[in-house]
Amino acid sequence: MTDTPLDFGDPEDLERLRNDFRAWLAGHPLPERPADEPLPVFLHRWHRQLHSGGWVGLDVPEQYGGRGLTALHQVTVSDELGARGAPGVPRIGYLAHALLRFGSEEQRRRLLPRMLSGDDVWCQGFSEPGAGSDLAGMSTYAERRPEGHYIVNGQKLWTSYAQYSGLCLLLARTDRAAPAHASISAFVLPLDRPGVTVRPLRAANGDDEFCELFLDDVRLEESERIGAEGDGWPLAMTTVAYERNALDTGHLSKYGLLIERLRRAAHERRKLPDGLLSDIGRCAVDYQVLVAHARRRTAERLAGQSAGPESSVDKLLMTRAEQRLYETALKVFPEELYGEGGEVLGDYFYSRAASVYGGTSQIQRNIIAKRLLGLPVGPRA
Amino acid sequence: MERDEFTLVRDMLRAFATRFRSGSAGDIKAQTRTDAQRALDELGLSGLRRTSPPAATVQECALLAEEHGRQPLTTSLLGTALLAPELLRLLDLGERAGPVYGDRPTVALAGDLRFPDRDAVGLVAWDCDGADTALFVHGEGRVTEHELGAPAPTADLLRGVRRASAEGRPVGRLTPGAHQCWQAYALVVVASELVGAARSFVEQSVDYARERHQYGQPIGSFQAVQHQLADATVLVEACTSATRYAAWCLDSETPGRALTAARVAKAEVNSSAVEAVYAGMQVFGGIAQTWEHVAHLYLRRVLVGATTLATTPDLLTVLAAPEATR
Repeated sequence: MTDTPLDFGDPEDLERLRNDFRAWLAGHPLPERPADEPLPVFLHRWHRQLHSGGWVGLDVPEQYGGRGLTALHQVTVSDELGARGAPGVPRIGYLAHALLRFGSEEQRRRLLPRMLSGDDVWCQGFSEPGAGSDLAGMSTYAERRPEGHYIVNGQKLWTSYAQYSGLCLLLARTDRAAPAHASISAFVLPLDRPGVTVRPLRAANGDDEFCELFLDDVRLEESERIGAEGDGWPLAMTTVAYERNALDTGHLSKYGLLIERLRRAAHERRKLPDGLLSDIGRCAVDYQVLVAHARRRTAERLAGQSAGPESSVDKLLMTRAEQRLYETALKVFPEELYGEGGEVLGDYFYSRAASVYGGTSQIQRNIIAKRLLGLPVGPRA
Repeated sequence: MERDEFTLVRDMLRAFATRFRSGSAGDIKAQTRTDAQRALDELGLSGLRRTSPPAATVQECALLAEEHGRQPLTTSLLGTALLAPELLRLLDLGERAGPVYGDRPTVALAGDLRFPDRDAVGLVAWDCDGADTALFVHGEGRVTEHELGAPAPTADLLRGVRRASAEGRPVGRLTPGAHQCWQAYALVVVASELVGAARSFVEQSVDYARERHQYGQPIGSFQAVQHQLADATVLVEACTSATRYAAWCLDSETPGRALTAARVAKAEVNSSAVEAVYAGMQVFGGIAQTWEHVAHLYLRRVLVGATTLATTPDLLTVLAAPEATR
C-alpha cells in the first residue's frame, strides 16, 4: 500500500457530518465545570450531553444504540472537539468493539446501549502487579464451581477511574493447566459486587486516575462471561490494538493548541535560551507528522486495509511527539517548576507515562520486529 | 493518471532501476552514467508535469522519486524530468518573459545547494546528468537560465553536479503563489527520493539480519538488533506519511498550506532518513564500512540530501514562528 497514491481528503459524507456536528455544538456548548467537581464527573456530564445529540458510538450498529457508521465518522467528531479545545468523545470505542466481537447477542443488546449513553460507566481490569508487559502471566483466577458460577480471587492494577465506574471488563485465568494465551477469559464485573475493593492510587502528577482493584471470593455468573472460556486473550489483543491506533486525532489537536502557545510565548520574548526555537520547531514537526500519519491511516482504512500490528508504529510516533512536546513546554514555561505547578507540569508527568501505558515502547518494538518485519524469534532470557 | 497507468509507469521505472543500479562505488563510470541516463530518458517521464493540467499528480511524481531513490542510481530523474519541467509549467502560468535556449534543462541551486535567500553566489547545476542548461529561481521569484561548467565535487557520488555560469539570461518571474508551489514541490520531490533511499536500505538491513548468523543464530533474533530495526522502521514510516501528505496537499490544498506541509516533510526526512541509514549500517556491521558495499552510497545520498534546498535549522526556525506572523 505504500507505493500507490492515496486520497488524504475527507470523503463528502464526513464533511457533511462535520458540518452537522458544528451546527449542533453551536447550540450545545461545553458545560461549566464547578471548581470542586472531579474531572471524571464533569466528563460524564459531557458524555451524556454528546450522547443526547447522537454523537457517541457512531460506529456501533443501530440495534445496539449506535448509528451504524464507521470509525472514521467517530474520529471526525473527536477531531472537531479537539480543534476547539473541548474534551473528546469518551474513550469507550475499544470496549464497545470487544463486546461487539466477543459478546453474545443478549449481552450486546443489554450492555452496549447503556455503555454508549453513559448509564453504565466502564473501566478495564487487565494489568496486575505481577503482570504488566507480560500480560499473559496474570494470576487472577476465576474458579469454576460445579453449580456453574465462578469464584474470582486476585488483584488488578492501573484500572483507570474505577472509583467512578459501575462495570469492569475483567480478565481472569479460568484454567491453570492450559498455555497462558488459551486459558484467559473475559467477564463483566459489577464493581458493587461483594468482595470487590477499589483503592485509588495517586499518580506522579498528583491525580488519582489509576486504581487498584482487590477481588476476594467474588462471585460471577456464567452469563457474565464474554465469549467462551479462553477468548480473553484475543479479546485483550483486539482492545489494545484499538487503544494504540493513530486514528483518534481528537487529542492530537490538543498538542496543536499547545504548540501555537509555545510559538507565541517564544515570539514575545526578547531573549531565548539556546536552541529553544529549534526545539519548538521540532515539536511542530512531530505534531504535523502525526497529523499526516493519522490521515494516511484513514486513507488506508478507506482503501480497505484493516487495522493490524502497524498500530505499534502509530503509538511510538505518538509517544515521541507527546514526550518531546511537554519537555519543551517546561523549557518555555520554567515557572511551572518553581511555582505551584500548573496544567503543563501535570501534563508533562502524564506524558512520561506515554511510553509505558497501552504496552511499553519496548513491547511495541517487539511487535514491529516480529509481526511487521518478520524477524526471527529470539532466545528467551 | 488512472491507477493502472500509474502502476505501469512505476513498474517501468522499477525495472529500469533494477537494471541500472550501481552495485558499488566502483561501478560509477562516465560511460555507465551516459547509458543509464539515455535509458531513463527513453521512458519519457519529463512530460509528466510539463503540460497544464499536468499528466501526473504531485503525489504520483513523489512516488516515482521515491522509487528512483530506492536504488543507487546516477540518473537525473529529479532535475531534468520532474523539477525543470514543473518550473517551466509554473512560469507559463505566471509571467514568462523569454525563451529557454537549452533543450534539456535541469535546475540550478546556490553553491551550498540551498534555496537562495539573497543574491546567491557560486551557482551549481544540480542533478545534471543529460542536461544542457540550468534554470535558477532567485529569492524573489525571478528565473534565469545558466550555462553548465566544469563538474563540481559533491560527497554524493551518484549525483551529477556542475558549476553554472554566474550570469544568467532572464526567463521570467514566478507569481508569489507559483513561487510557493515551486518551493513546496521541490522540497517534496527531493524528500521523496530520500525516503525511498532510507526505506530501501532499512529493508536490505532487515534481510541481512535474517541471514547473518553469529553465536549460532540469526542476528535478527537478538532484541538489541530488533529494536534498532524497529526504530528505523518507525522513522521511515514517519517520513513516508509526511511526504505523501505534503504531495497530496500540493494537489489539493492552497500553496501556503502545501508549503508548510512540505517544510514539515523535509524537516522530518532530514533527520530521520539519516538516522534510519545509520541504524541499517550498524546492523550490517563491518561490511558496511567498506568502499565496495552500497551502504556509503545510501549514506552519502541522505547526508547531502539533508542539506539540499533547506537544512533542518532553516526549517525549524520557520516552523517555530507563530502562525499569525508567517
